[in-house]
Amino acid sequence: MRMSMWIVGASLAAGLVAPRAVAAQDPRLERRLDPDTRAAVDAVIDSARVAGLPVESLVDRALEGASKHAVPARIVAAVRRLAAELGSARTALGAASSSAELEAGASALRAGVRPADLTLLRQRRPRSLTVALAALTDLVASGVPADSATDAVLALAPSARDDQIVEFRRAVERDIALGAPPAAAAAIRVNSALRETGGGQHRKP
Amino acid sequence: MFERDDDVLERMIERLREPVEMDPTLDARVMTRVSAPPIRDSRLAAAWDWLRRPRDFSLTPLSALAAAAVLAGLALWLGSRVANRASTLARPDTAVVQFVFVAQGATSVALVGDFNDWDATTTPMHPARQGGLWSVALPLPPGRHRYAFLINGWLWLSDPTAPRALDDFGTPSSVVTVGG
Repeated sequence: MRMSMWIVGASLAAGLVAPRAVAAQDPRLERRLDPDTRAAVDAVIDSARVAGLPVESLVDRALEGASKHAVPARIVAAVRRLAAELGSARTALGAASSSAELEAGASALRAGVRPADLTLLRQRRPRSLTVALAALTDLVASGVPADSATDAVLALAPSARDDQIVEFRRAVERDIALGAPPAAAAAIRVNSALRETGGGQHRKP
Repeated sequence: MFERDDDVLERMIERLREPVEMDPTLDARVMTRVSAPPIRDSRLAAAWDWLRRPRDFSLTPLSALAAAAVLAGLALWLGSRVANRASTLARPDTAVVQFVFVAQGATSVALVGDFNDWDATTTPMHPARQGGLWSVALPLPPGRHRYAFLINGWLWLSDPTAPRALDDFGTPSSVVTVGG
């Protein structure tokens, strides 16, 4: 009887403690990072969690660094930078944004898109922004100036479906691969895309 | 020359009708064997008896705590594995994405990215018979996923057919976006 009481008590204690311990330390990080790096990364992740930010992408970034044999300081800096970008993305896109939207927003900010334009995109597009933000980031990565890419995606935002935005991005990338100037390719293709979506002619705001 | 068949048969029948003397303890012995437990393999029986035998043992509170913590950790670990797998398989918006890479002369190509914890052993790509073509298909949840190809276990290369991702670690990466 006494034994049973101890086991019940111990189980309750373990049940209270275990979730906190698991939340604080991701087992994937424990396996792949050295103790000092892990402690530094855990601290950033804990802060992000307390701030209500999605932490999975932070874990992913640390794992990416470990897999690529990056030095510890570089891994910690990358995780810290991403946490800051996620915070900025949430400020710009709103607290109700999904994890996928925040991660895509963080990438867009990294690419050079202004936070005010993320807010504008949120206001103009009455559905998920994940694909639109990803397309915007990818266009900038392809060489389209951030302003031109932002104008194009903002023009498409109210009426275009996700697949139409993806097709627009692919068309611009094809044109660039064929030698077209990136800004011109985006400007021409956005008008074509707007005709398809019934969004009218695009004029630079 | 011979007796008639009917006579032989008659004598056999009479012989068979004679009462037979039986051991008076036979009934008792039969009933004892019938009601006895079935004969088992002696080792199995001993193990079963050992398992069923109640016993007392003592445990310090610290040991009990440790045992409970181990059990709780195991349950959480198993639960998270099942939940992760179920959540990926059950999501209706998960899309199967085909990754293809040309690596002439490579001995191994792995797909490594956010979706497999950047673990080079999780998603090996499969070579075609000719042409140095390697491919693999993966179900991915909605979102923007970063990835790269790892050639021969040491060379990181981006996907030439996908947008490039800005990279923190000085190696090329690509992105694929799924769903909305």
